[in-house]
Amino acid sequence: MNVCVLYSGGKDSNLALLKAHEEFEVSCLVTLSPKSEESSIFHYPNTELVKLQAESLGIPLIMETCSDDEESSLKALYNALRKAKELYSVEGVVTGAIRSTYQATRFQRICDDLELWCFNPLWLRDEISILNEALERGFEIIFVRVAGLDRSMLGKRLNEEIVQKFAKMRSYLNPAGEGGEYETLVLNMPLFKKRIKILEFEIIGGEFDATLIVKRAELV
Amino acid sequence: MILIVSTCRYSLSEEEFVRPIVEIVQDCGFDYEVRRYSERIEPSEYSKIIICGTALRDFDYLIYIHNFTQLIDYDGTVLGICAGYQILAKLFSNELEEVKKIGVYDVKVVKDNPLIDKDTRSYFLHKFSLKKTNELLEPLAMQNDEICVFKVKSKEFYGVSFHPEVLNKEIIVNFLRL
Repeated sequence: MNVCVLYSGGKDSNLALLKAHEEFEVSCLVTLSPKSEESSIFHYPNTELVKLQAESLGIPLIMETCSDDEESSLKALYNALRKAKELYSVEGVVTGAIRSTYQATRFQRICDDLELWCFNPLWLRDEISILNEALERGFEIIFVRVAGLDRSMLGKRLNEEIVQKFAKMRSYLNPAGEGGEYETLVLNMPLFKKRIKILEFEIIGGEFDATLIVKRAELV
Repeated sequence: MILIVSTCRYSLSEEEFVRPIVEIVQDCGFDYEVRRYSERIEPSEYSKIIICGTALRDFDYLIYIHNFTQLIDYDGTVLGICAGYQILAKLFSNELEEVKKIGVYDVKVVKDNPLIDKDTRSYFLHKFSLKKTNELLEPLAMQNDEICVFKVKSKEFYGVSFHPEVLNKEIIVNFLRL
């Protein structure tokens, strides 16, 4: 089966991609690029870097821009998946959804409308086990947005120490950041042919609500 | 020993529909085995059987429904989730109707039962279900006009059309403690 992966460039969609690659032919990546960070469904920071990731993966990328509201996001997703179906004969969609029934419901409905299979290989996974698996599989992950965590996390590489810290905080923090507590960027993983090197970046925002904007990056 | 039956055509779907059930069974401290729908199962080797759900577009398990016919004479307890609900409904001669439901909906308990003790909200992901049953099944809970939980009258067999592993883990735990 040819599948596409809903790809944000973060840890979850990259792990979902790796699992999809083990069973199916990943024909393309689909990324929505919200105009602002208010989008409730898709990641915002550094969506431009997804182009570098796609290049490193050697997988075609379909990128659609969408407005902040839900209707626009879902319409853009529908259009992007329809393109994936038409251009790459995709029969299924793979997502990195973990626990949000809001998100899963919308993905499932759009896939059904387009007569596409929907796969959610991280669904209901323990969030700490996802972080551990990504590290065990050699992912190089950095934090690019925090909302509720200290901005000093930005640019830091996810490691076992941070995973243990998140495990202790899990009574008030979703360890996978699914509540928007943080977002990540994958600089390297087993399917990348080259890793991403960040050459220049800027941090904007306050002490506990900040974003790392990558200004220049290259594949090395 | 608990038997967990996968109805998934693709192993990527098992990550979504079987692994969460396995984890609940593990957390409750039970030994278990996982078998696929394409294998003929021997129910008498197990104290309980859980037949899991699968992807919305997956109906491959219906081609292999003959692998489940020996359940009719099984004396243990069975929980059919989504695809498993459909298998139990068909084994006991009920006709499924086209009822597409994707998302979180209200569930109303209509008969006292050991699995679900009060009205709740549950995550649904199916295209076929029951709106009426024959005399072999009894409805235990409804979602509007859909029978979303039923019991096989002569057995300790339960069918649940939604996915309890998502919002109603207690249903699976209650089943394991029967």
